[in-house]
Amino acid sequence: MSASQIRLLSLIRREVNRFMKIKRQTIGGPLLETFLYISVFGAALGSRIHQVHGFKYIVFVIPGLIMMAWAMNAFANNSSSILQQKFSRSIDDQLSSPASPLQLLMGFSLGGFIRGFIVAMLTLAVSMVLVSLPIREPLVLIPAMILVGLFFAQAGVLIGVRAEQFDDVALYQTFMLQPLIFLGGVFYSASLLPEPFRTMTRFNPVYYMISLVRYGFLGYKDTSVLFSFAMLLIFTGLITAVNYRIFVQGKYLRT
Amino acid sequence: MSAKPPALEITDLVKRYPNGMEALKSVSLEIAEGEFFGLLGPNGAGKSTMIHCTTGLARPTSGSVKIFGHDAVNHYREAREAVALAPQEINLDMFLTLEETLDLHGGYFGMSKADRKERTAELLDAFSLTSKRDERTRTLSGGMKRRLTLARALMHRPRLLILDEPTAGVDIELRLELWQYIEKINREGTTVMLTTHYLEEAERMCDRIAFINHGEIAAHGTIEELSARYGVNSLEDAYLELVGRQELSRSHVTAEPV
Repeated sequence: MSASQIRLLSLIRREVNRFMKIKRQTIGGPLLETFLYISVFGAALGSRIHQVHGFKYIVFVIPGLIMMAWAMNAFANNSSSILQQKFSRSIDDQLSSPASPLQLLMGFSLGGFIRGFIVAMLTLAVSMVLVSLPIREPLVLIPAMILVGLFFAQAGVLIGVRAEQFDDVALYQTFMLQPLIFLGGVFYSASLLPEPFRTMTRFNPVYYMISLVRYGFLGYKDTSVLFSFAMLLIFTGLITAVNYRIFVQGKYLRT
Repeated sequence: MSAKPPALEITDLVKRYPNGMEALKSVSLEIAEGEFFGLLGPNGAGKSTMIHCTTGLARPTSGSVKIFGHDAVNHYREAREAVALAPQEINLDMFLTLEETLDLHGGYFGMSKADRKERTAELLDAFSLTSKRDERTRTLSGGMKRRLTLARALMHRPRLLILDEPTAGVDIELRLELWQYIEKINREGTTVMLTTHYLEEAERMCDRIAFINHGEIAAHGTIEELSARYGVNSLEDAYLELVGRQELSRSHVTAEPV
């Protein structure tokens, strides 16, 4: 293994090590939260709503919950890990190492991506036991989930790097991320919305994410798959480019 | 054959913060390989900024910093491999054990697994931390944290070691232990740059000293050269001349009759 590969792996290892040391909080908590959603929106509410686009309500909702688990965990992990390291200045150990800006960005990003993946996979496994959840389009589902994870991992890095206090992270999470996710169609089909809300949803990146993920699981779509992929790629590319620029310039990290 | 480059070569270094504050005003300094160099100055003089520009934690506004001939900005990889900082503030990662702290640091510097394992054991032993290897850093006493900070800096075998007030707040025993180890690695060839407020430490350890004040190098040389420059008899008095507090000099204090 080359020195460069060891460097990158060590950066990722640090991030994984952190969330695994507090796994009750970082894995257990989000899992419980997802199952509460499944219970409330799927089992309780679902008994009143019989079918959505030909699917049981719980089956219609679960793809969104799996996606939300990956997204929220990727974001929360990276934003809080970076901010905590900035506070303690332990981040100086990585910043004064020979790691390149790209390696640093990947190291800080992939920790949350992996945590999101673990929570999402555990949610998927249990969901498949609880309900009959099909995976109709795996070739759409896998890249879509990866892009969703990457997008929110990058969003977490961006907020963590810019934040100066824990309030800043909570602010973005509560007032930006959660509304985007909830209004993107995780718990309902956007096509059921009246105007102008239906059109407004089209400006929400989460709408394209949930559309792709739902199509991957159920084979149901309410927008073009290609267009959704294009939008997701553009959003993920843009946020990654912004982060890369920050790491190259050292802004917010190096004085 | 070309001459060996200095361990640290700082040329016209300027650091201006976004608020307009100029922390370093065209600083130039050279430290030869193998030297034990002291950087002294009052709080806010620019010592930490200079150190941060050297280790990549701050971005110079202009000028250059070269470590063993490698530019700290354009060839940061080679430059950072050659330098290490044991900072004034303890900045250990509270999620890690002692062993993980050293192992990950070695990993950031591209050291192989076998090398990391061997070096970690060696440093834990050298700093009497082996029995604590599996404990998290947050459980350590202040002195142990200080030792681990130094061990971490030494993990990748730097050729230039920067010690930013390494003995601030540590007990006498640990202070002597640290100095013994640092003197040993200096004898073995590691260049050391030290900032300290304990002038007797600088007097005892350093080959040469630079005074920095208001972001400028006010004077540099051996203790004798600095004393001669300020027309005084000790490093302490030379320092007091630098900061304009001559009235504090012990040579001015006369014993009052009891």
